[in-house]
Amino acid sequence: MTKPTRYFLIGSVVVVAAGLATGLVAYYNGGLTFRSSSEPAEFSYLPAGSAAVAYADVRAVMDSNFRQRLRQVLPTGDEQERLRAEIGVDIERDIDTVVASFVADGGPAGGGAVVLVRGRFNEATIEAKAVEHGGVVESYKGKRIITMGGPADAVASASGGCVAFLESGLLALGDVASVKRAIDTRTSGDDVTKSADLMKIVNELQGSGNAWVVGRLDGLTKAEDLPAPVRDQLGAVQLFAARLHIDGGVSGLLRAEARDDQAAEQLRDVVRGVLAAGRLVSGADTRVEAVLNSFQLQGTGRTVTLSFSVPAEVFDIVNGLAALGGLAEQPRKTPGGK
Amino acid sequence: MAAARPSSAPPPGAPDFWYASLRVFDLSLGDMIWSRRTIFMLLVVGLPVLMAVVVRLIHALGAAPMSIERTEITGPMMFGFMIWMFFVRFCVPILAVFYGTSLIADEVDDKTITYLFTRPIPRGAVLVGKYLAYLVCTVSVVLPAVVLVWLFVLPIGGSLGAGFVDLVTDLGVLALGLAVYGAFFALIGAVLKRPLLFGLAFVLGWEQVVLAIPGYLKRFSVAYYVQGLVPHTMPNDSAVSLIQGMMREIPSLPESLLWMGLIEAVCLWLAARTVARREYVLEQ
Repeated sequence: MTKPTRYFLIGSVVVVAAGLATGLVAYYNGGLTFRSSSEPAEFSYLPAGSAAVAYADVRAVMDSNFRQRLRQVLPTGDEQERLRAEIGVDIERDIDTVVASFVADGGPAGGGAVVLVRGRFNEATIEAKAVEHGGVVESYKGKRIITMGGPADAVASASGGCVAFLESGLLALGDVASVKRAIDTRTSGDDVTKSADLMKIVNELQGSGNAWVVGRLDGLTKAEDLPAPVRDQLGAVQLFAARLHIDGGVSGLLRAEARDDQAAEQLRDVVRGVLAAGRLVSGADTRVEAVLNSFQLQGTGRTVTLSFSVPAEVFDIVNGLAALGGLAEQPRKTPGGK
Repeated sequence: MAAARPSSAPPPGAPDFWYASLRVFDLSLGDMIWSRRTIFMLLVVGLPVLMAVVVRLIHALGAAPMSIERTEITGPMMFGFMIWMFFVRFCVPILAVFYGTSLIADEVDDKTITYLFTRPIPRGAVLVGKYLAYLVCTVSVVLPAVVLVWLFVLPIGGSLGAGFVDLVTDLGVLALGLAVYGAFFALIGAVLKRPLLFGLAFVLGWEQVVLAIPGYLKRFSVAYYVQGLVPHTMPNDSAVSLIQGMMREIPSLPESLLWMGLIEAVCLWLAARTVARREYVLEQ
């Protein structure tokens, strides 16, 4: 073998080895996304045993063109106004992101969900309103928590509602056990980023949508309040993920990883049947037809993927039809002005 | 016209089959790497690398993510598409055609096969050694190109860690595809007088047609078994029921590996046997 040939082969091996080494490091570190946005800091509060993790970029959703069009169709809630009046939080402007996790089996404390809300809050106002409604302010590992329905260490209120101020601009909502678990997780460092199978999908979804949820159904089916038949059916699906991207319209992706190829094929058949039934029932309804036509079923092997896209024009149709409905309901003027 | 006599049993003390193959490999590798065909191969595999660099530059400059019908095209999607549509369905078979069919044919055309056959080595070792040189040559060009595309494209809306296992799988599949296609076209090159035409017709004609037709015919193609190894990259089009039906007829992984191993072993053995027994007539 001549020297140039040897150098050529060495160069080739070096390129492949460097790429594989980079990938291996990224694989074991659970990331190396090389993107400007890193994973949310709130992940440090989510326990490693989380069965499901969800994220929503509320700011992006509220600022989207879709939201503006939706406001024309759906009336704004009185609840939103009441919340702003009582605790000084404007959902549309003061909340940036929401991260949530659900733990199915949390040991002696039981499972539960915790929601972490990041934004701009008037903590004094929230605390005062909570105390006014019977909340008790306590301290747990340096964090201020407000429990509703009694002191946090009382057995009867372990599953009661709780609000905690984790950091400046970060609130935790949930039952007492879940909120305390979140605080313990931050201290111990055993957070959801240690869960390789969840983080693999989380890393795929991050940056590709402004809301997503990933979960292990084998963890969720451990929940005691789930009916047995439902639990048995859900056992065929191991992992699920959903992603939404909201800008002018709404596009999304639903993904499920089944137990085996056969279960995945059956799940695909079910989805095809549902879509066909939807088309049959929709008839000539242009709104439903436009939405159903956007559904695309994909995936091979154990993966089932359903993507959809609701264009902004659908909401124009909805707006137009709603306006027509409003005109049709106007009372008729009888002759003589009566 | 001069004729090369079929070889008799090698004389005592002659190198054994595998040692002879390695010597032929060593001799052929340099010639193959620095040949005009390799420049063609570099152009072919360089195109997706160039596209990946351009896409990455566009993304780095802050352009909006590409999307088709409001579905954002992420890096993993682009990489999977490139692996399937370019490397697996085009690059690997075409490179195997151009290299595999010429393993012996080039020596015959250059009239240098006589020099190889006068050596005290089994004739079949000549083919096997050249086949090994082809494999190393193509793998050393194609695999680095795939890795470079992966490094540039995957971080766009994806992560290197999440795509690492798929990369390793794809590299293995491409190497296996080059090996199997190469063995098949080495046999074609040893048997037929115009192997290149047959090879191109097989890859660009027969395989494309039989893969689209439901039934058993697709089993008489190599691509059918290769696609069983890369289901994670295959695109789906739910709008066309025929393609859906085609996509469902994917062999299982063990079946694909078994048949690909059989094809390679049988084709290589038959090719070596053909070279050993055939009388090559060199045109003056």
